[in-house]
Amino acid sequence: MAEKTDFEPNIVAFLCNWCSYAGADLAGTSRIHYPPNVRVIRVMCSGRVNPLFVMNALQQGADGVLISGCHPGDCHYMQGNYYARRRFNLMRNFLEYLGVEPERVRMSWVSASEGAKWKEVIEEVVNGVKAVGPMDMFKRRQLNW
Amino acid sequence: MVDIEKLREIAREIISRDDVRQLIGYRQGTYGFRARPAFVTDPGEVDKLIFSPACVNNLATYITLEERLPVPRGQEPDLRKVAVMVKGCDSRALVQQMEEKAYERERILVLGIPCTGVVDMDKVEKRFPGVLARGEIVLEGDKFLLTYDGKEEEVAKGELLADKCTRCRYPTPLVYDQLLDEEVARFADDDYADVEALEKRSAEEKWAYWEEKFSRCIRCYSCRNVCPMCYCEDCVLDRLNPQWMRRSVDVSENTAYHIARAYHLAGRCIQCGECQRVCPVDIPLMELNRKFYKDVEELYDYEPGTNAEAPPLLSTFKVDDREDFIM
Repeated sequence: MAEKTDFEPNIVAFLCNWCSYAGADLAGTSRIHYPPNVRVIRVMCSGRVNPLFVMNALQQGADGVLISGCHPGDCHYMQGNYYARRRFNLMRNFLEYLGVEPERVRMSWVSASEGAKWKEVIEEVVNGVKAVGPMDMFKRRQLNW
Repeated sequence: MVDIEKLREIAREIISRDDVRQLIGYRQGTYGFRARPAFVTDPGEVDKLIFSPACVNNLATYITLEERLPVPRGQEPDLRKVAVMVKGCDSRALVQQMEEKAYERERILVLGIPCTGVVDMDKVEKRFPGVLARGEIVLEGDKFLLTYDGKEEEVAKGELLADKCTRCRYPTPLVYDQLLDEEVARFADDDYADVEALEKRSAEEKWAYWEEKFSRCIRCYSCRNVCPMCYCEDCVLDRLNPQWMRRSVDVSENTAYHIARAYHLAGRCIQCGECQRVCPVDIPLMELNRKFYKDVEELYDYEPGTNAEAPPLLSTFKVDDREDFIM
């Protein structure tokens, strides 16, 4: 489709305060260029991210959602990312079952020193979402009374 | 089959006990052979109790549904037991509720019914329109015997059996204080054929399928209210701040509702099929629940409602859980 080529997706990223947010910050301070489509929401831990956040973001107009946390074993709160991993594996599979492309719901481990990996992750997510196009399946309809 | 006289005798004995507050069982419904829940508090009422293939309700719901108001100062809370009749599938709801520490084992008294299957009322209505209101149905061996308008008809068991019973792994209750009949050996297994068929479709086909289903939803919340696992006092659907989903009935909000409902049952749904049975617009809710059931079994080797000692699935983890989906 023609409109897909100039489609700029909105990606909502939930980043944990201790690793991924610092990693994204490092990418910024290191002047690494990455696609500007990502909107960052800082949370204290990836385990803080309720799976309903994903649903809500997609409903309110996000084309893709990224959850990023510390590598397993590195969680500031010891085990938050392990819980998050279980939750998102199920949520991702379930959304895929409903017909949401798996490219839209992504999860990654990015540590505070991985500014370069952050760039790669964002590029992959943005390219993946661009390939599947805008998310309009269950976007919230505005009512015009 | 359960001997009704024996059932009533045991029920009378139980309800006469000082430490039992009420007994939840089945009684004849108003029309035909439909059954409905009975709440027995008096020994004189036990003669109403029945058990038949028409006893489809999951009575485990009522244990957590009962409102527990704060007790006025100076009064003791009523700690007497609640006795409940459960089939194999219903007993798993009790196990799962206890796994989640909804109540203590001592608070309930379980009358286990080894179950050979219940009927699907929709299937009966489809095949014999109108018979539900004036007929009688009994299970004999591997046949259902229908009696109506002076006629008798035999139907193979599989044709009227509820879908959940054709995949039932635990016909004998997993938890009970008294068993009302001989144990029943497992007669069916679950191969997830329906879930797998849907998984194989393309994303567009899947969404086209679900969009049609979700757009029918009228948000009556029957599926939530009947569910034995939906007993949160503060339900996410009732919240106004944050309001996770609006109350308006449209595809977007309906989808959000169904995602939230199904996700809250991930690793908890015990496959009693009540949600789908009560749905007034026939949304295949069990197909949503069964997706989680299948994933949970495949990914984490966990089966909800089978072990009251195990920690709930999502409040635990293993260091080597699958993470091939993570970048």
